[in-house]
Amino acid sequence: MNKKVLKLLPKLLIPAVIFALLIFPSCPAGTPEISSYTIADSTGDWGYPSPYAHYSRGPGYIRMSFIFETLVWKDASGFIPQLAEEWEYVAEENAYIFKLRDDVTWHDGEKFSAEDVVFTIEYVKNHPNPFVTLIGPSGVREAIAIDGYTVKLYLEQPYAPFLNDVAGTLPIIPKHIWEGVDDPKSLTGLEAVIGTGPYTLADYSKEHGTYLYKAYDDYYLGKPFVDEIKFVKISEEMIPAALKGGSVSAGDIPPEVVSEMEQAGLTVITAPVAWNAKLTINHRKEPMSSKQFRQALAYAIDREALVQITQRGYGIAGSPGMVPPTSDWYNPDTPQYEYDRAKTRGFLEGLGYELEDSYFTKDGEELELELIAEASFKEVGQFIKQQLEEAGIKVDFRTMEAKTVDAKVEAWDFDLSIYGHGSLYEPSILKRVIMGEGFNSTRYTSNEKLSQLLQAQLSEMDAEKRKELVFQIQEIYAEDLPALTLYYPKWYWAHDDNVNLFYTKDGLASGIPIPLNRLSFVK
Amino acid sequence: MFSKGNIVTYVIAFLFILALNFFLPRMMPGDPLMAIYGDEALIAMTPELKAELVERFALDQPLWQQLGAYFVTLFQGELGHSYYYNAPVLPVILGRLPWTLLLVGSSLVLSTILGIVLGIESGWRRGSKTDRSMLAGLMSLNGFPDFFLGMLLLIAFGVTLGIFPLAGALTPYSGLSGLALLLDILRHLFLPVAALTLAHLAGGYLLTRNTMITVLKEPYMLTAKAKGLSQRALKYRHAGRNSMLPVVTQTGIWIGRVVTGALFVELVFAYPGVGYLTYEALLARDYPIIQGVFLMVAVSVLVINFLIDLSYPKLDPRVSYAY
Repeated sequence: MNKKVLKLLPKLLIPAVIFALLIFPSCPAGTPEISSYTIADSTGDWGYPSPYAHYSRGPGYIRMSFIFETLVWKDASGFIPQLAEEWEYVAEENAYIFKLRDDVTWHDGEKFSAEDVVFTIEYVKNHPNPFVTLIGPSGVREAIAIDGYTVKLYLEQPYAPFLNDVAGTLPIIPKHIWEGVDDPKSLTGLEAVIGTGPYTLADYSKEHGTYLYKAYDDYYLGKPFVDEIKFVKISEEMIPAALKGGSVSAGDIPPEVVSEMEQAGLTVITAPVAWNAKLTINHRKEPMSSKQFRQALAYAIDREALVQITQRGYGIAGSPGMVPPTSDWYNPDTPQYEYDRAKTRGFLEGLGYELEDSYFTKDGEELELELIAEASFKEVGQFIKQQLEEAGIKVDFRTMEAKTVDAKVEAWDFDLSIYGHGSLYEPSILKRVIMGEGFNSTRYTSNEKLSQLLQAQLSEMDAEKRKELVFQIQEIYAEDLPALTLYYPKWYWAHDDNVNLFYTKDGLASGIPIPLNRLSFVK
Repeated sequence: MFSKGNIVTYVIAFLFILALNFFLPRMMPGDPLMAIYGDEALIAMTPELKAELVERFALDQPLWQQLGAYFVTLFQGELGHSYYYNAPVLPVILGRLPWTLLLVGSSLVLSTILGIVLGIESGWRRGSKTDRSMLAGLMSLNGFPDFFLGMLLLIAFGVTLGIFPLAGALTPYSGLSGLALLLDILRHLFLPVAALTLAHLAGGYLLTRNTMITVLKEPYMLTAKAKGLSQRALKYRHAGRNSMLPVVTQTGIWIGRVVTGALFVELVFAYPGVGYLTYEALLARDYPIIQGVFLMVAVSVLVINFLIDLSYPKLDPRVSYAY
């Protein structure tokens, strides 16, 4: 730098600092007004942010959740009141009573009342919302308005995660607009985005994948301190550069650039793990139908090394009970199958296999398994192939296009496969991915005790008792091993710290692991 | 002139393409319900939701009925309803089309003109140092795929130097208008156009250079020289013009691929074009969008073929006697 400039610098800086000191005390402490906040996203378009038109993915829900609110909501430590000020569960009647706020207005100025909640429940029963199921076990039999600001919801059956999956996820819609709308997906005008939330939609561009939100002046918790929120589309690889350059305020980043981002003065946050990659085992086919065989596979795979090598250390080794060790629901006594090739050998020999040369054989036939996975699991697949082959099990590993893998798994046309899914925060996922139908479930129903427990934990309204059931589930599931959780990857977001972004306890709504809680933008 | 048989051929080809267009995406493994909801663990596929979706997308009807419905809506001028985007297909595609036309159109014009000019200059100086270095340079450029050039340009001029924006077709919600908006769009356009132009430059260049070398040996070139014409006139009016024909043909073939030709470059620059749309639709198994895009490609290829068929006799009267 020029010497002259260096000499001048203090002279220029001192008045600037004094000026700044004079100006700043006039701002409210902690929450300075921010005119614009830009969030980067590599997909961009997540659909029109109405409760029905957004795409059925977490980011689509989040774009909607800035406009529409639920009865209860969550912050970093758990449930908090939103449209409902307080609530209670009446066990004798199997019903929830919600006391609603009386100072809430819709964005068009109409007053919000219990009628809207009752209407929403009835409407969603007739027009299924992908994120909330109101028919069946999690359903609401009847919703009645006791007075203008009290509603009582009678549940179909006791449903433990009701607050999380229904009251905290179902967006309440205005009766005066949606009444008479037969095809909610086709309602995409301005009236479809009238909610009670802190923001209103100013623009949405499908082709550019951008959203512009404006603060709602009459928000009942006070006008949000960020005037404008922009969602913009930037390819995954370019988000770190855009963050460093200051053209965006927040975005998700690959783990490799975490320290680079921190050095550049950005704040990096990481979510409690919510997603797992599993080794799916075709437990309906010989020889994988034997529990001992599946356990032999588990002993042959070093999951710690797998995280170090394939995830470069950015993750946590899988627990065979599926529930991650970071969860409140984790059972520390779950069988772990510590890496031990001798045990694999012992189990396989117990099943009549003999180690000849480098591979096991039985009745003169070499033990060979087919492992299929989509290309993003290439490293993981190669690692597993190598580990199993070192243990004496030959593996034919092939990567395929994702939908082909799904179709083959759906048709039970595979030996081993790698599949990943999220939503590990709330144990209600366990029943769906263990007993549910379709390729994304293990479809393991042959252990009656397990099936009963999976059912029972859903209807156990006592939290401590439910935890006990979930603990038992992990032990049995890990013992039977219809699939083996391999690892939980760590996800990161970087932001400029102008807004305090945080990860919501157990994920936003029913479990979205993205740190974009609308509360961050409200004083 | 154009015979009836010719028109019948076009109609048959068109119907065949329509049918193929309908069946091909459906032969891919995986169905849209799986693609739309399978990956999102937060979503429980309840029987009610499934029933609603199956009915909405008419997946419960036999294939031939779906085909019939497809033809009927098509002749009503509709391309169907996108599963994933939850919108009619035509507006979705039309929203993207201008950006692709802008991107591919400008790079097509640039690479053709540059290719011809460089080819003429290079061919004229055949064997010289300029010719040899140009040939080597463009040949090696020809080896790079367009998306790779795009990445290099993006890292150099977008990330490191920070001269050009990192993504998109314009700065969202910048409040710009008029000339400032135009400049903003051009700034976003520069790198992707540069990548496409550089990647496709060599084709036109090599063709022109080759023909140029042949043309230079023609007797009429000697005549022109003997008439005492300036070098410029010789190079461009006499040799150059006659070397352009193959390049023009090649450009014509290229136009058929305009719609999807920039798929990878659009991905690299997150440019909101039809190529990007095709990619997203393939991932989501969004049949109607895939069909819509393919139909557009097929129709544009047919139309261009038709135009070429019509224009050939005018360009070269000998073609008419070939029938």
